[in-house]
Amino acid sequence: MTGPELSGTQAAILAAYAELIEEVGSDDVSYRVIARRAGIAERTVFRNYPTRVDLLLATAAWIEATLFAREKSHSIFDIPLAIRDAMHRYDERPELAHVVAETAMRGVSGAAPSPGRAHLEQLLDAEVPSLDAAQRRAIIAALSHLDSAGTWVTFRREFGLDRRDIADAAAWAAEAVLDSIRNRVAPT
Amino acid sequence: MEEPVDTATAILASASVLLRESMFDDISYRALADEVGISERTIYRQYPTRAHLLAALSNWIEQTRFPLPPFVTVSDFRAAVHERFRAFDALPAYAYVGARASAVSPTLDTEPAYITRAIEAMLDVAAPTLNRRDRRRVAASLRYFSSAMFWSRLRTGFDLDADEICDAFDRAVDTVLARLPSSSATRAEP
Repeated sequence: MTGPELSGTQAAILAAYAELIEEVGSDDVSYRVIARRAGIAERTVFRNYPTRVDLLLATAAWIEATLFAREKSHSIFDIPLAIRDAMHRYDERPELAHVVAETAMRGVSGAAPSPGRAHLEQLLDAEVPSLDAAQRRAIIAALSHLDSAGTWVTFRREFGLDRRDIADAAAWAAEAVLDSIRNRVAPT
Repeated sequence: MEEPVDTATAILASASVLLRESMFDDISYRALADEVGISERTIYRQYPTRAHLLAALSNWIEQTRFPLPPFVTVSDFRAAVHERFRAFDALPAYAYVGARASAVSPTLDTEPAYITRAIEAMLDVAAPTLNRRDRRRVAASLRYFSSAMFWSRLRTGFDLDADEICDAFDRAVDTVLARLPSSSATRAEP
């Protein structure tokens, strides 16, 4: 989940941009305005993030790693709880949740559609090592999908669910995914 | 096919042609205006922001390229989604537009997608006595696993092909439906 090391200037740019996205209600904010908010020259923003896509990818990764950071789960069976918390956090910052969800779906290199995947694999392999490849892949894919801003966006938009119901449905779905392996934990 | 095309639709048709060569982000209003043979201003009038263009383009692509086969039963639903994922796989650039449009902050009064209503209707038939909360949980889960987002995440994040994505989808659907009480008809299906 740890992204590339950011310089102080880069962190200031990303924080300023995230702040402006929330204020304006859109990611359509000019480099000039971002530079002014960060207290630096517009050139400096361009030097660090030559294109808007670069800037968006970096900002989404930063938002996920800071504002939406997950509490570390120590078991794959804790993941539904982490998902529940994450949905609450997305709901508190709706504009940023949309930016993170959209950026993950850009289909370009550099987008991180499943930032928590490696962690999920670690947990699953340690606890339930007996799965075949297709089973393991399906569980990791389903949990990665559920543990994302896309869940919050979809449940809200398609079903009009509120915060509590989104968190409930997302955690419920994650529990369902885990049902098939509940009783297959390797004895320690 | 022979119907006269209005400006808004002509813009979307041209945008979809440009999508074969470039990513959505790289399609400027100017290039689009040249392609359609109209002024940039006219495009702005139709689609004041890129988010508006994205939403409209996604709807148009959905209707013209990825029409959802109708389904009533759970097995028809699975088949319809498989067909859709294979269609996405054949036209990834179009499918990414759909995945992305479904993630953005809505610009228009967005109605739930047709597939959402179809899933709800399917559950009404398959599990008529299921309580409201569980019905919503099941519907939301099935909807999310059948989405362009799911396909897109598995393709770009996991490097899976259409067969593997369909397999992951089937397993996810199995786990969700397995939670339904056994009296529900859905479980009986293969």
